[in-house]
Amino acid sequence: MHGRPKVLIVDDEPDVLLTMRLILEAEGFDPALAADGETALRRIDDEQPDIVLLDIMMPVLDGWFVLAELAGRARRPFVIVCSAKSSDVDKTRAFDLGADEYVTKPYEPDDLVRTIRDTLSRGARRPARL
Amino acid sequence: MATATRTDIRERIEHEAKVAGMRRFARPSIEAVERRRLQLWAITITVIAAMAGATVIASIAHANTVEWLRPSTLRIAIIGLALGFSAYAIEKEVHLHRLSRLLMDERVLSSALSNRLQQHGELTAAGRAVNSVLDLHEVLDVILSSALELLRVETGSVMLIEGEDDGAELVAVAARGNNDIVLGSRVGLGESIAGRVAHSREPLLLSGRVDDELYPGHQERIVAPHSAMSVPLVNRGQLLGVINVSSFGERSFDEHDLQLLCLLAEQVAAAITNARLYEAERVHVAQLLELDRTKTQFVASVSHELRTPLTSIRGALSASRRATDVEQRNELLDVIDRQTQRLAAMVEEMLTAARLERKGAMPILRRIDLAALVRLVALDSQVAGRPVEVRAPQRCEIRADPESMRRIVGNLIENAHKYGVPPVRVTVEPAGDKVLLSVLDNGTGVPPAEREKIFERFYRSDRTATSRPGIGLGLPIVRGLVEAAGGTVWVEDAPGGGAAFRVALKVRPLDEQEVEPCTAGQRS
Repeated sequence: MHGRPKVLIVDDEPDVLLTMRLILEAEGFDPALAADGETALRRIDDEQPDIVLLDIMMPVLDGWFVLAELAGRARRPFVIVCSAKSSDVDKTRAFDLGADEYVTKPYEPDDLVRTIRDTLSRGARRPARL
Repeated sequence: MATATRTDIRERIEHEAKVAGMRRFARPSIEAVERRRLQLWAITITVIAAMAGATVIASIAHANTVEWLRPSTLRIAIIGLALGFSAYAIEKEVHLHRLSRLLMDERVLSSALSNRLQQHGELTAAGRAVNSVLDLHEVLDVILSSALELLRVETGSVMLIEGEDDGAELVAVAARGNNDIVLGSRVGLGESIAGRVAHSREPLLLSGRVDDELYPGHQERIVAPHSAMSVPLVNRGQLLGVINVSSFGERSFDEHDLQLLCLLAEQVAAAITNARLYEAERVHVAQLLELDRTKTQFVASVSHELRTPLTSIRGALSASRRATDVEQRNELLDVIDRQTQRLAAMVEEMLTAARLERKGAMPILRRIDLAALVRLVALDSQVAGRPVEVRAPQRCEIRADPESMRRIVGNLIENAHKYGVPPVRVTVEPAGDKVLLSVLDNGTGVPPAEREKIFERFYRSDRTATSRPGIGLGLPIVRGLVEAAGGTVWVEDAPGGGAAFRVALKVRPLDEQEVEPCTAGQRS
């Protein structure tokens, strides 16, 4: 990883995108935004982010589709699912599809930043991932 | 009384047997009595022959006899003895004959009684069978099988009442054998045989040809039954239907068969009532389960809908601590403002739904310009990032509650953006004494199976529940408000694809002079 880690924020809520972009920028990340699954997959292909903050309930293509799509790839970014869905069934499904972390909304942004850093540092010890 | 007669016969048998000199007089058999009669006849004949022989011998040997034993005296003595024995034999024979007849009577009675017992046993078994199943169709099948088996015939049917009062008729729900009543046959109350039995609630036993005048509506069959019975099914005073059986062979029904069918009919009526109660209970349980499912889904939806704005508020607060300039802070304050408004609107939506559920509140009717109201709501929607095309007359005045109308139009536009595909169009068209408000989108439309359900509280389509936010109250609120205003709302396919939500509102007369409330001049 060189320079600022790239974080793709995927959420259909404009205010979540806006606030998380400001926070991550202030915390030294390089944020990019996507409001639906289709845009997210395109930006992952184009920009190869280090980590993706992925919402589940979205129009066009939802978060499950994005996870399933990424699961089949040899090279993929870390994925932290950030969803208001809080059931164990959803969490299990996300981990089965290859999610690295699962954060339930409403999260404390500072905690999310910590989780992003932890995940990235875990990844640094496992260079084969990217 | 059969039992009294039997006891009486027993006592007389005992008495006659004692008099007749039977050794085991308590329970003599007919065979024993007959044997005794034969013995008696044999003894009588032997004794009389012996007496006759003795008289002859006495006549021959009279010379050698003593003085007092003269032939005449001897003859008189022998004749006297013979007469005495004959009298004894006749008396015994009379008693034995009487005993034999009594025993025969008792045997007939016992056999009749055992037949009756067997039938009662079969009736009990049939009753147990019809009450052992709860599914109505199965019950009806078992009922008919049991009745036919009990009466040893092959043709019969069960008919149940459908409809109420004047419209009530009998419908065949089970039928077997050489029957002109097939499944689904209908007979009015009072018509034909079954209809008359249902009307009079009196069981009927018929033999031979049926009199058409007595049973209007009855159609003569090609093969007429030899004998037939029809019994009403009544449970706790309520007429449920009729059970019919027919015999085409030699078997002819009698009063006893009718009584048997009546006894079965009582159990059958109870079984049908139980099956219906069970069915109603099953439907009720299914409804409760569905209600439980929608409530669980509602709790999940509400918690999700609360979490989303809270995430933005927390994010905005956290970001504002890191913000470097005033402009950025103001932008974040706007986020907090928007999201708190969103939370407040959700609470309001739930309260409105609860209020509409009570159906107590009457809308406050005022003169409003629907066209202007639609344009205003569309503008708000545009500002919120949900563009809308409007086609409406310049003016369209109706009497309605403005707040309700705003919510109806707003919810439908929001719904079209959430579940459909842009462009979203709103049209207002006068149609006779009504105004038709339509909200159309370019999505995939609503499948026919869901067109009613989407207006039910908390309903969330499986197709969209995971991908679209919402708590399932938007459309139920629209329906509640439209109906409170005396209108109707429905969804259909939009011309060219997508969904078309239509609201038909009655134009209430504003005042005497104003005849045409909507003025032409379309404006987008």
